[in-house]
Amino acid sequence: MRARLLLALFLATAAPAQIYDILLKNGHVMDPANGRNGRMDVGIVGDKIVKIAQELPARQARTVIDASQYRVTPGLIDIHAHFDAQGADLNLNPDHNALRYGVTTAVDAGSSGADNFEAFRAKVIAHAKTRVLAFLNIVAAGMYGPQVEDDPKQMNVEKAVAMVRKHRDVIVGIKTAHYQPPDWTAVDNAVKAAEQTGSVCMVDFHPKLGRGYRELILEHMRPGDIHTHFYGRLTPQLDANKKLEPYMNEGRKRGVLFDVGHGAGSLWFRIAVPAIEQGFLPDTISTDIHKRSVMLPRATLLNVMSKFLNMGMTLDQVIERTTVNPAKAIRRPELGTLTEGSVADLAVLEVERGSFAFLDSGFAKLTGTQRLRCAMTIRAGHIVWDADGLSAGDWKEAGQYSNFK
Amino acid sequence: MKKLWRLVALLSLSTLGAAQTYDIVLKGGHIIDPANAIDAVGDVAIAGGKIARVGGTINDAAKKTIDVKGRYVVPGMIDLHFHAYGYEGAIFPDDTSLLTGTTTVVDAGGAGYRTFDDFRAKVINKVNTRVLALLNIAGKGMIGSASEDNVEDMLPDKTAAAIKANRDVIVGIKVAHFGKPGWDALDRAVAAGRLADVPVMVDDKIFTNAGRTSREKLLDRMRPGDMHTHMYNDRQVEIVSRFNGKVQEYALEARRRGVMFDLGHGAGSFLWPVASAAARQGFWPDTISTDLHSSSIMGQQSDMPNCMSKLMALGLPFREAIARSTMGPAKAIRRYPELGTLGAGRVADVAVLALEDGVFAFRDSWGKKLMATKKLEAVMTIREGKLVFDAEGRGFPEWTTAGDYEVIK
Repeated sequence: MRARLLLALFLATAAPAQIYDILLKNGHVMDPANGRNGRMDVGIVGDKIVKIAQELPARQARTVIDASQYRVTPGLIDIHAHFDAQGADLNLNPDHNALRYGVTTAVDAGSSGADNFEAFRAKVIAHAKTRVLAFLNIVAAGMYGPQVEDDPKQMNVEKAVAMVRKHRDVIVGIKTAHYQPPDWTAVDNAVKAAEQTGSVCMVDFHPKLGRGYRELILEHMRPGDIHTHFYGRLTPQLDANKKLEPYMNEGRKRGVLFDVGHGAGSLWFRIAVPAIEQGFLPDTISTDIHKRSVMLPRATLLNVMSKFLNMGMTLDQVIERTTVNPAKAIRRPELGTLTEGSVADLAVLEVERGSFAFLDSGFAKLTGTQRLRCAMTIRAGHIVWDADGLSAGDWKEAGQYSNFK
Repeated sequence: MKKLWRLVALLSLSTLGAAQTYDIVLKGGHIIDPANAIDAVGDVAIAGGKIARVGGTINDAAKKTIDVKGRYVVPGMIDLHFHAYGYEGAIFPDDTSLLTGTTTVVDAGGAGYRTFDDFRAKVINKVNTRVLALLNIAGKGMIGSASEDNVEDMLPDKTAAAIKANRDVIVGIKVAHFGKPGWDALDRAVAAGRLADVPVMVDDKIFTNAGRTSREKLLDRMRPGDMHTHMYNDRQVEIVSRFNGKVQEYALEARRRGVMFDLGHGAGSFLWPVASAAARQGFWPDTISTDLHSSSIMGQQSDMPNCMSKLMALGLPFREAIARSTMGPAKAIRRYPELGTLGAGRVADVAVLALEDGVFAFRDSWGKKLMATKKLEAVMTIREGKLVFDAEGRGFPEWTTAGDYEVIK
């Protein structure tokens, strides 16, 4: 017995010493995929997380970050963004609007279709530091207004399927949005294309007479498909007495996923608060960030998360819905976790305490006591955002430095 | 004479008339408007996109009355050195500027005379930020050395003609990144400046055998009113001697001559050793600007409030930081007093700022930090009378009191 203990000790000490490129010390690690929730150190080598444990030795690291005042989470995942910055007008630059807010993976929700996805990939996705993935719009011309988005001839299943197959590394599913004619062409074709490619369909839905929401989530969408904007005014989720409609939970039981997609029009406190009180929480929290939602309702992911924190959800629930849940929803379970060996995408977040106010899509205000703020973002082992200078040396200790070489 | 009477009657009617209805009244903020020497708590009224009244207590009816107690109300900041076009790191102005209290940005040479129309159509006409421009002396603008070293396409007459055709938005000329020896680029920029009667902003790289010196540049080549940007980059212009840490005599003389010095922080042009030595000797920027682009926004976070906070950490008084970010740049581009003040009748471009206490780290171009205890942060921006950013929700009602609200104006 004793010999075995000695042997174990010997083996432990004999293991080759690890040199970490970055060591995050003493942060409160939140990693719902692995059930981690407490003070731990995170060791990074190259672009990988190699070790998470208590008391990893600081002397073994090239860069030590004191994370004791912060939460350390997997890099956040925003499954509804608009980042085709070289394409349609409303799109934003991914890095400024993702990495600054702890988001390391953003999924563009149908800004482009089969006709222009490859330009999006070449001009934006290939250059972004953010991991940009995409839902391909079932509309071949992409999100360029009603003249194409309401045109059933644009909803070519074969074209979409071919494009998904060609870009499996980046395209995670099919998007349908904004369709106004009172038939099911857009939804059904999008679901068909998703079905044929074994991918997910994200639905933005405008109910019409003869094309109801109940049928959408109980009959037309498949388990695993995502309804986005479900706290918006277009979704009949509450009855006249603000009671949750029974089909919401039926849809959830079937496996339909409900995504926030805040945007300019789709998060209303007067809808979300009663729904949450009745236990209907979102499966995934996302932004629908674009030029019109980024300003007043401030649909950055951290701000949207803060809104949910102050509507009564716990930090654990909010982190789960921006890491492991969206990763599963887009069928990329390797993302959104801090599993040893996985890519080193991390967010270092501060939970600020005080009095803060947030606006919803109707510009009504919610005053609360907590706000999330991103101190550091690490993407594939690189520190790409460091608002608190945690990785920086003090200039007075740097000696005389000059741009003259 | 009849006309004059009619005018007098109209004026008296408007002042005697029933209680004014303003669009917005900002109540109880601390107003700082250097142009009008206002530095006091008071209200600001806005109507029809213009500043209607400043100072004192304003109790007249308003569509929106916003409590801004504990905050500073200042003219919307003017960022004299920004990149919205052409340059590879060029950024969308609204989600970077309007979020930081900056209502006017001046694109510093993204476009030249050949590309300006495209810039105007694709960016200037499409954004909410007021975008002005310094036209690059290089015909194709800031798209790399093939354009920026091509002296044959630095044409003063064509550049001046493009400026004259776009006086509403082009406010000067930019010369930048010239990688050849000699003064061709700068001289041509100044020649164009003379033809169009506008100032030139100079970004220079001095390299071995460039045949250019800071002294000659500042004293002989640049004109009064021309501006040297990147002033704390010791390779662009040597304001502080590397040998004895003193501000150079020629820099002081250039300033006496009327040459202007602009911050232009950027990714490479703000060094604590240079800035702090200059600051100790009182050699501050005439104008505070960011040189904001993809890499400086991520690396140094050097937006306007960040640049102002850094200079304040080195000892620049808060009021001076405001003056050099509002009235200063407006004068430099000859848009004063239409821009850069809260004077009655001026366009209602307003920033509401918080001066936060805490411990904050500010990084320079070498990634080195300075710790400080004050940080300026924009909490609200009004652009031409419209509330476009409101981080504290001060302009809107609590949802619990708003009933079954639709979009609240």
